[in-house]
This record gives sequence, structure tokens and C-alpha cells, in this order.
Amino acid sequence: MAILEATRLAKRFGPVTAVHDVSITVAEGEVAALLGPNGAGKSTTLHMLLGLITPDAGTITLFGMELARHRVEALSRVNFAASYVDLPGPLLVQEVIDVFARFYAVRRPKERVAEMIELLELGPLRRRRLMDLSSGQRTRVQLAKALVNAPRLLVLDEPTANLDPDAGDRIRGLLSRVARESGAAMLITSHNMREVERMCDRVHFMAEGRIVATGSAAELAGHYGAEDLEEVFLKVARG
Amino acid sequence: MTALPLPPDPRPALTLAPLSFAARRSRVLGVVRRDFAALRRSPIRIFEILFWPTVELLLWGFVTLFLRTQRVPFVVAFLLGAVLLWQVLQKASNEISIAFLEDIWSRNLLNVQVSPLSSTEYLVGLVLFSLGKVVFAVAVMAGLAYALYGFGVTSLGVGLVPFMGVLLLLGWSLGLVGIAAVLRFGENAQVIAWSLVFVVQPLAGIFYPVSVLPAPLQTVSWFLPASHVFEGMRTVMAGGAVPWDRLAWAGALDAGYLALTLALYAWALRYARRHGKLSRFGD
Repeated sequence: MAILEATRLAKRFGPVTAVHDVSITVAEGEVAALLGPNGAGKSTTLHMLLGLITPDAGTITLFGMELARHRVEALSRVNFAASYVDLPGPLLVQEVIDVFARFYAVRRPKERVAEMIELLELGPLRRRRLMDLSSGQRTRVQLAKALVNAPRLLVLDEPTANLDPDAGDRIRGLLSRVARESGAAMLITSHNMREVERMCDRVHFMAEGRIVATGSAAELAGHYGAEDLEEVFLKVARG
Repeated sequence: MTALPLPPDPRPALTLAPLSFAARRSRVLGVVRRDFAALRRSPIRIFEILFWPTVELLLWGFVTLFLRTQRVPFVVAFLLGAVLLWQVLQKASNEISIAFLEDIWSRNLLNVQVSPLSSTEYLVGLVLFSLGKVVFAVAVMAGLAYALYGFGVTSLGVGLVPFMGVLLLLGWSLGLVGIAAVLRFGENAQVIAWSLVFVVQPLAGIFYPVSVLPAPLQTVSWFLPASHVFEGMRTVMAGGAVPWDRLAWAGALDAGYLALTLALYAWALRYARRHGKLSRFGD
């Protein structure tokens, strides 16, 4: 069953068409990627799916509920992390996770915070302020925040963009484990094609605001006569 | 498009039912806990809460001491009472704006906006925390005013609570206008959030009677709830009764302005979502 179903989304900003006629579904437990060059409309699409941007046309249903009419119920089962957002710097790691546990109305926030700290290996950092952490450490806290409500859909916008290869690899391993063990669906954007090949069941390629190709990494490579997803990306991006 | 029936959430009950009272209370208190934690971890902000009000209190306190030597009656009580009540208005306005702006400065706004926290819950959380800060700041200032100048805030009598209530509501309305301006015009409109309350200052008869204003401005002044509070304060301090009729009118104005500014906030949020402005904050 599709937990996310977006149909014929469109968005213009003044004279610029950011997204045009985009339809996308994400099934229960599926890990999907939304790829494309800068300015292709990926983040605008994700932000529409999260209710941050109101589409000019089209509909979005999450868990069978129309997002525009059931915002609170729908968003309580979703969570989000992105390389370009941050968390309140003065707060301690455990305070940040606790605050978001309360935003998502977690029944036993203290227990859940302890679970997240253990899962993300944040024990030694729990009483450190966010502003004093490295990029990799902050990304782990972001993921703790993003997993605190055990979301059925996790939306990740370039989650490893600011990380060194080692930290990025650890985060990818963690996300794969979360997807496998929790059955949560994920929708990810990334410019790291190896990351996408490793993690994702299905890939949607966007260019100039439209979805131009959809399939597994292997199917897309075959379709474009490419060796890997990176080559597919270059072919799509260069037309 | 017709929404499909909601399937049951297969998880064990990790979270409360999203629309339940307990879930709403959890989200509102989450806002309060976040702002309290941020304040506790930033000693400079605690200092800032007290610094400017104290400077203002000292400044006006010494002015009034000087005027008293010039045999100007009641002036000490008038001015110190005005300074204290002005702080209620200014802090109520600024604190609610600052709490919102901090989400922008820390690039946390998107995390808040994609959470199930509703606009109403968010605002209630901001208002509750700002109330705590206002009460704290005014309590410290009232203590200082008594210790340094022998001015007891209780000299405002039973009118003190409604006076403060009217000013709090007006301050929150002004704060909401500031937030709406930032949502509509972007971060550059921060200056509106900071300075809007100072537009009220010369018109509300805080340090002088409304009667000294030119006639057209007096008309404007009577449509400001704060004017009725400061006129009422002077009446009480001069030995008169609490002017309940004025306070009732001020309360009615407050209710109208609050309703308008809530509508303005809702419109600005819809505008920001329609034009993709939320996504661009903190870029």
C-alpha cells in the first residue's frame, strides 16, 4: 500500500516553473530516491510533500489522509532531516531530542530519548550543547530527532552532504539498518550516487521540474545504457 | 480528491493520538521547555532580560528624584509606575517575536514547521513562555523600584492585574504583527518585530497625559488599549478609583486587535507556504 501518494504536483515561483506535473508514490517499507541536478525541483517537491510549500496544483495524501486537511495527523507519522537545517544550538543533545519527542507527542519521552541516544551512539555527547558539536555529530543528533517518533515515512534531504566519507558511511549504515528493522519508508535526495545505489529500492530522476525517469538503479542503468547510476545522472543532467 | 479511510497505525502506542488533549499539551509544553532550555543555556540572554529594564528604571528613577526636589507632586510614582507598566508591554511584544526569530536564526524553523505542532499550539507555547519572562522581569524591577526609590507597585491597587493584562494582550498582538511581517517580507523585516512597540510609546500617554497630544493624535491614542491603562494608572495614583469603564473599553479593543492579528498571522503563514518562503529562511 502506498503511504505517500502525490498526484500531478505543480509549483511556480513567479515566472519560474519549479515543479511541473510530478506524481510520486512511496510504498510501505520502500526506500526511494529523488535525484536530479541542482535546481531540478527536488527540494521544492520534498517541501510540498511535507507541507512547507503549498502546491499550485495536485494533491498529496499521506497514509490515506489528504495532507492539506489532516496536517497534524499526517505529520505525526512523518519526520525529516536535511543538511541545510539545524537544531537549536544552545540546547544540550538530550534536551533537543526531548523537545522533539514532545512535539511528536511521544508517550514516554525520557525513555525514548534514552533509546535514541543509544541507537545513535550519542551517550558521551548527551550533555554537550549542539553548537559545540562537529558536523558529523550534529547529523547524528538530527537523525535522533528524525527517528524519535518512529516515523512511518522518513524524508531526508541530502542527509550526508556535510559529512566526511567515514561519517557518511556510518550514517548510511545506520539508515539502512533503520529501514530494515523498523520497516519505515524513506524518501531521500542525494548527490552521492553510490549512496543511492546502496540504499534505495527505487529512483525517481528529476530534471527541469519534471520526473523524467523512474526505476531501480539497475533498471535505469540498463535503460540509459550506462554502467552505473552516476553515468545515468550525467546523461539525464546533460540532456 | 476524496481522502481514503485512515488505516490504523500498526505501531504499538509510542505516541499519543495526535488530536488528543494530551498530545496538544505535550506539544505546547515542548515549546515552553525548548525556550526555557535555550534561556537557561544562554546566560547572556538572562542578563539581557534584566539589563535594559534596569537601565530604564534607573534613568527614570533619577529623573524623578530630581523632579521631586523641584516640588513636582506625584511625579515619582507616576513615572516609576509608567516605567514598570511600559516594560510589560515592551517585553510581551519583543519576547514573542524573539522566540520565533530564534527558530530562524538557528535554522530550526523547518524542523518546527514539519512537525505536527499546529500554529495555535506554537503560539500558545510562545505566549506562555513570554508570560513567564515578563513576570520575572517585572518582579525584579518592582523589587528594585521599592529598594531604590521606595515605590511599591501595589500602590496601583486592584487595578494592577487588569492593567497588566491589557498590556500583555496588546504586546502579544504587536509581537504577532512582527512575526507576520517576517513571514510576509522575510528576515529583513526583523526590524519591524523589534521596533513596532515603540510606535505605540509616544501615542499611548505613557509618561504624560494623552491631553498633551495634538487633537488628531489624541483620537488615535484612544484607540490604543495602552492609553487607557496609563491614564487609569495616573487616576489611581492621584487617589481616584480604578476606571473600570476605561479598562472594559481597553479590553474590548485588545480582543479586537488580537483577533485581527491572529488572522494576519494565519494569512502570513499561508502566504509564506504559498510562496516557498519558509524554505528560504536561514539560507
